[in-house]
Amino acid sequence: MLGAFDYVRARSVEEACRLLAERDDAVILAGGTDLLVEVRNGLREPKLVIDVKAIDELARLDPSDEEWMIGAAVPLNRLAEHRAIRESVPALADAALSIGTYQLRNRATLVGNLCNASPAADAAPVLLTLDAKLSVAGPKDFRTIPIAEFFTGVKRTCLTDGEVVTDIRIPAPPQGLKTVFFKQQRIRGHDLAVVNVAGSYDPTAKTLKVAVGSCAPTPVLLEPTEATGSTAAIAERVVELAEGATSPISDVRASAEYRRAVLPVLLRRLVDRLLSERSGA
Amino acid sequence: MTHEIVLTVNGQTERATVPASMTLLELLREPLHLTGTKEGCGIGECGACTVLLDGAAVTACLVLAVEADGCDVQTIEGEANDGQLSTLQQAFIDAGAAQCGFCTPGMILSARALLDRSPNPTDEEIVEAIAGNLCRCTGYEAIIAAVRRAADRIGGEGSDG
Repeated sequence: MLGAFDYVRARSVEEACRLLAERDDAVILAGGTDLLVEVRNGLREPKLVIDVKAIDELARLDPSDEEWMIGAAVPLNRLAEHRAIRESVPALADAALSIGTYQLRNRATLVGNLCNASPAADAAPVLLTLDAKLSVAGPKDFRTIPIAEFFTGVKRTCLTDGEVVTDIRIPAPPQGLKTVFFKQQRIRGHDLAVVNVAGSYDPTAKTLKVAVGSCAPTPVLLEPTEATGSTAAIAERVVELAEGATSPISDVRASAEYRRAVLPVLLRRLVDRLLSERSGA
Repeated sequence: MTHEIVLTVNGQTERATVPASMTLLELLREPLHLTGTKEGCGIGECGACTVLLDGAAVTACLVLAVEADGCDVQTIEGEANDGQLSTLQQAFIDAGAAQCGFCTPGMILSARALLDRSPNPTDEEIVEAIAGNLCRCTGYEAIIAAVRRAADRIGGEGSDG
């Protein structure tokens, strides 16, 4: 038995927000693969668990012309198996598939990965480079939060009382967008990231966006870079930006020294993969 | 507070009164006496409690019993048909894919889910499908061979049984 909480299967976003605002110690349950482990380990003691998986609109996965929408109840496997996602933003599918095991990904959600707000959240770097936004419903109104403003610290987000993330929106990827995700982990099987990096390159705008996870209290989006000049020179610029924007610590997975050593390696590889087929490079 | 739930387990309708914090694993093993589903780590790392929830492989330790209300659950006890082992189970025996046997029910259900979605999987797909099922005895090779053998036999027979 996982403690002593009650359970409600919310039927609407309004109901979920109302319950979350009214009740002390209420939490949202999506996949439960982080929440139930934390409850079991005594790290959280909710009194009420609000299951949002039965809310129809949260199960929507809808890549349309202008904006792609991924509902808060969409499990990672469903996202990663979606053809348009795999073809247009393969890094998002790769990041999703790097989380947990097959069984976990049948439950765990993309939104849950973000709301858990681990510095190592594998979905975060990719979504940062794609300018994703979170749709948030509150007791009174709705708001949209750019993902770069969402994380405020280790396991902390800018959500306030009664706010529920309903979906993630991504601007439809521009023609020819290249995306790459790399994750350094201790073993080949499932593991949390020692360092994770993601990048997107828009060949029309010639902009390169790179984000880094597991190297600071939150995942970090680096200042976008103009992709002109040699690939090696651009990579060194990205490495320099990353070194200024991160502050790795030592933990059970790796030492700060190791993270500082491996980060530039991953970034050079990332930039090379993103830019190597540039015309005129 | 308790909840009245109704679910289908291995084709049978089951009704239960469960506390909100009871896991699906606890429901299966205790009130329902389906002890083929094992508890290993209890935190979704080892896969010993893998069952099919509406056809999808999940770790039953990280699903609340109340979340399974209205769902269809298959456990290892539902794999054999009328006392006749499934092709997949027989393949595990023939390939020597079980040693201590603790991981085997979860392993078979992960393989079942794989064969349901991809009847002729590559070895890479087999490895990915069972990556969430830890085995401390076999070194996995015999298990991969068993799943391969089951896929070949099912393909040859045109059905599983």
